[in-house]
Amino acid sequence: MKTITYRSLTGCLSFVMSAVALTAPARAADMSGREVFDHYCTYCHGSSDGPGTMQLRRTRGKGQALLLERTNLNPDYIRYVVRQGLRSMPPFAPSDLTDAKLEVLAAFLAKK
Amino acid sequence: MLFPTGLMPSPVALATTPRPLPPGVSAEQMADALERFRRIVGDAWVFSGEKVASYYDPYTIPNDPQRYKAHAAIAPASTEQVQEIVKIANEFRVPLWTVSRGKNFAYGGAAPVLSGSVVLDLSRMNRILEVNEKFGYALVEPGVSYFDLYQYIQERGLKLWLDVPDPGWGSVVGNALDHGVGYTPYGDHFGMQCGMEVVLANGEVVRTGMGAMPGNNTWQLFKYGFGPYVDGIFSQSNFGIVTKMGIWLMPEPAGYRPYLITFPREEDIEQVVEIVRPLRLNNVIQNAATIRSLVLDAALFTTKSRYYSGAGPIPPSVARQIMADQDIGMWNFCGALYGPPPIMDALWTVIRDSFAAIPGVKFYFPEDRKRRPDILIHRADTMRGIPKLTEFGFLNWNGGGGHVGFSPVSPTTGKDAIKQFHMVSDRVRESGFDYMGLMAIGFRELHHVTVIVYDQTNPQERQKLHELFGLLVGEAAAEGYGEYRTHIHYMDRIADTYSWNDHALMKMHQAIKDALDPNGILSPGKSGIWPRHLREGTKA
Repeated sequence: MKTITYRSLTGCLSFVMSAVALTAPARAADMSGREVFDHYCTYCHGSSDGPGTMQLRRTRGKGQALLLERTNLNPDYIRYVVRQGLRSMPPFAPSDLTDAKLEVLAAFLAKK
Repeated sequence: MLFPTGLMPSPVALATTPRPLPPGVSAEQMADALERFRRIVGDAWVFSGEKVASYYDPYTIPNDPQRYKAHAAIAPASTEQVQEIVKIANEFRVPLWTVSRGKNFAYGGAAPVLSGSVVLDLSRMNRILEVNEKFGYALVEPGVSYFDLYQYIQERGLKLWLDVPDPGWGSVVGNALDHGVGYTPYGDHFGMQCGMEVVLANGEVVRTGMGAMPGNNTWQLFKYGFGPYVDGIFSQSNFGIVTKMGIWLMPEPAGYRPYLITFPREEDIEQVVEIVRPLRLNNVIQNAATIRSLVLDAALFTTKSRYYSGAGPIPPSVARQIMADQDIGMWNFCGALYGPPPIMDALWTVIRDSFAAIPGVKFYFPEDRKRRPDILIHRADTMRGIPKLTEFGFLNWNGGGGHVGFSPVSPTTGKDAIKQFHMVSDRVRESGFDYMGLMAIGFRELHHVTVIVYDQTNPQERQKLHELFGLLVGEAAAEGYGEYRTHIHYMDRIADTYSWNDHALMKMHQAIKDALDPNGILSPGKSGIWPRHLREGTKA
């Protein structure tokens, strides 16, 4: 099994896990990163009163609440949270939000 | 810190923890079965290793990390592939835990009752096969979400409304099969189901109702066909895999007017429900309306810490402050009027005059609500079938993220409502949680759904929740109240309360199970129904 090292944004935690990206089906996503965000994420993370925005405001503070305004998102972290879930956010299965879609989503959110 | 301490299991552990195997299946047999599954669906659609984590219960209750853990997941794209999969599963005796989209959160998500099961994830079977505007129905596969169907209807400008549960990402089929409810006049989702296609455990495909007749053109129009009506045995069950289902859709009404009626005291629920019953029975209240508690509504848009930093549930003084700030009541009745304006005007006159007898009652239409976000503005969307995820906001109330629903059914009487309210809210508050409840009004019954929001990262809190839930189930059953739906952790417990005549109903379920699925490969343990070889001994 291949492994890859992930490091948190603040550098205070690192760990080893299997690499989702390395096992992704060799298919290109048929959606752009923005389209994936709009389809899967925007209901919770697209507005100031969405449940995901509320959670991030509570845990990270007002300046980190809206995903689209974040400039410190790491693609590995995005992959991890999408697949594992985080607090009230449930995980997204690869049958629906495929690895290919996750790749373009992670790239989109990390490059804003 | 990016990952707060204790927030989630170690990724190292997730990657290296051995996946559980089902009873009687060796690692080699499972590997062979997965290889055969790959030949059916392709390598990309069999998920094992760390990818199985997406199929864990995101709001786990037990502290035993081996409970409710899938070994793998498989995502077929067609009924034919499902047929082939069940044949392989029979050959290797591999249990399949079927989920439509796996979004049944608060009830276990995609996680199986029996650890080691392979999740049969039908998300890829997401075709909308027909939407018929003339007759008002859709024929869909299990992977179709409410968002999908809503978008389809909107893009084509069809004059049809959905009925949606609170989370819009769930499966239209899955929600109906689990007896989910919504908020329009079509709120009883299984009641609006018409015609199924089912893959049986032996791989045979059955169409129910009129669908059993070749060339018939009323499969989605008439439920019963000829002979025994069997659709019900495929709901909340493990007797087959539903691969297509008809669902009736509401014709767009000539008018729509949502309203909110608030009541200032907890004790008002008795009088409110007494008033609701005749109005609902006579269709003056037209929709599956809900009476929601203060904290449940407030929690959609605010957090507990804004009002209270003490331990345990909020005290009455804080509740009054929240009522004033959020401009809501201790109970909030959200309903809607549907139809031509003169009809809506007449119905509203009766409704308003009926509730006016309650001291302190307030009546609102959307234009009366100035605060944003606002509960009526939000519910106005839901009561016209617009799918959303706004209700997930209540999970932020105390920050813990976990939630589970306790959902007993009672008659629509004031006496039962106030009794239910005290039975549940007293215990919930004694355990340190806030009461977040709603009473969903059917024609003759009310579903008293209490959401218990807990800190899923705290083992002690999960244990406290578990003890509370057991107490609630026992006390409800002792008074004749049964739950209509439950989390996978409590399926055996709830099934055991339906015990009339020495568990005669469960014995019948088991007889059907043994006849249709003799190898017990379909969703063992669903709704407390176990195959013969697992009825004694290890169940999870």
